[in-house]
Amino acid sequence: MIEVANLSKNYGRHAAVDGISFEVSRGEIVGFLGPNGAGKTTTLRMLTGFLPPTSGAARIAGHDIFRESLDVRRHIGYMPENVPLYTDMRVKEYLRFRGSLRGLKGSQLRKRLGETLDICGLSHVRRKMIKTLSKGYRQRVGLADALIHEPDLLILDEPTNGLDPNQIRAIRSLIQNLGENHTILLSTHILSEVEMTCNKVVIIDEGKVKAADTPKNLVNSMRRAGRISAELQGPREEIETKLSAVGDVTKVTSQPLQDGWNRYTVFVAPNTDTRLRISALAHEMQWPLRSLARRSGTLEEVFVELTRRD
Amino acid sequence: MRTFRILFFKELKSYFLTPFGWLIMAFAAMMQGLSLSTTLKEYSESAMSENLVFATFQSPIFWFYFLFLFPVLTMRLFSEENRSGTLEGLLTAPVKIWQVVLSKYFAAYLTFILLWIPALIHFRLFAMLNDIPPPFNNGELYGALTIVILMGSLFTAMGCLASCMTSSQIIAGIVCVGILFVHFLLGLIPYFFGDQIAAAPLFHFISSQEHLRSFSRGLFDTRPFVYYLTASGFFIFLTYHLLDYRRWKP
Repeated sequence: MIEVANLSKNYGRHAAVDGISFEVSRGEIVGFLGPNGAGKTTTLRMLTGFLPPTSGAARIAGHDIFRESLDVRRHIGYMPENVPLYTDMRVKEYLRFRGSLRGLKGSQLRKRLGETLDICGLSHVRRKMIKTLSKGYRQRVGLADALIHEPDLLILDEPTNGLDPNQIRAIRSLIQNLGENHTILLSTHILSEVEMTCNKVVIIDEGKVKAADTPKNLVNSMRRAGRISAELQGPREEIETKLSAVGDVTKVTSQPLQDGWNRYTVFVAPNTDTRLRISALAHEMQWPLRSLARRSGTLEEVFVELTRRD
Repeated sequence: MRTFRILFFKELKSYFLTPFGWLIMAFAAMMQGLSLSTTLKEYSESAMSENLVFATFQSPIFWFYFLFLFPVLTMRLFSEENRSGTLEGLLTAPVKIWQVVLSKYFAAYLTFILLWIPALIHFRLFAMLNDIPPPFNNGELYGALTIVILMGSLFTAMGCLASCMTSSQIIAGIVCVGILFVHFLLGLIPYFFGDQIAAAPLFHFISSQEHLRSFSRGLFDTRPFVYYLTASGFFIFLTYHLLDYRRWKP
């Protein structure tokens, strides 16, 4: 659906996007992550034809984003950052305008208007002026605007930016439902959202792609993933040496707890699980064991690991 | 063409489905009435050798309000879209830039043309409500309206360009007044420096004051048609490329 090859954008001497490449196939929900100023919005603006790339190329639905910009724009529904809308229009009037700009007319336009208003939960405010709506409703109008012509590809720039938790939930479930028959590329800072909704993540920083994979693979392959914490009773020194000898274990640290137990943190190689061996060892040595847990990493840790500057 | 029509009607609605267009209309009607009634007062006080249309369009108040109509009509067009960011939504829909520019230009221009309906009614009424023959004839009335509408095509295009330059309506309005004022002064140069300077014919050619004088005496001249239509084409062309600028700037 989207093929990006070596896409770059310079603002004067500053390279906002520096030769990024990634692919999105049909039906995927892809999260586009990065710290502020990483080049997310610039990339999305290039894909939607608002800004031309300095170099490189990208194709959407088989059309070149620069040479066949109009064809590309027919295939996408784009919700820009901060959702700019004509605030002195009414909701339904605005959506009718945007729908007819995308080539809908007559009964088809009326049908899509009704459907989109329903999907986005806007039916009861359809006669209101957009300027009187709250931020959450404006966000939904923006989403309805992107959806009205049933595009193959939805590009959403920070769709939940500035919403309260309930509204974020509503938008998230909306996106999940849409993901069933749309390809979605969404940029965001909210990592829990990506973990819940996306089946692929592209992380960029300083204009470069740092990682592109499924959230699960990213978490498993990170350096600190798979850390195991165990609470045991017994001789501390001995336990530490014995634990270090278990296969795949790279390092063991310990920390006494208040009630006479000790907590051991066992660092292991990525993509391995040594819990069974540890419990077997504890059983064999007759160390009382009350807790054994593998800390799975979070996407947040992956993100920090990839984009931290220190 | 369908896209152009949708955009055009959207712009037109933003003039006439809001108080905005009607306020300008009321302002224009009031100023047109004021210049007509002050001229009539002069007629009642002394003998006049010129026709009523000519004298009305020569009243000092005319250029004052005429030149202020354009910034008011056009300053919002592009700068507001720029400021609020709606330009991004507009230009990522399948529309061409010329459709955006022309739809805005023609919506503003049509609104401007409609502003002259009150003036037309004033003069028609004057002819209808008096038993004396009106002190003007149709050639003079329609000549004056023709040149006003012709001047409007250029001045609206200048306003579009000014609006496209910035994201602030106020600055767009000031730039527009500036361009119009310079254009107005250029037409006055022969009065200040006489016809001896080598460029005098050029200034006569672009002098809106002279065009207005000859047309409101019923003299249709084809040169202003060429001038205003090509010059408005040129300013629309500049607007188009200024809007397209972000696509090729370094």
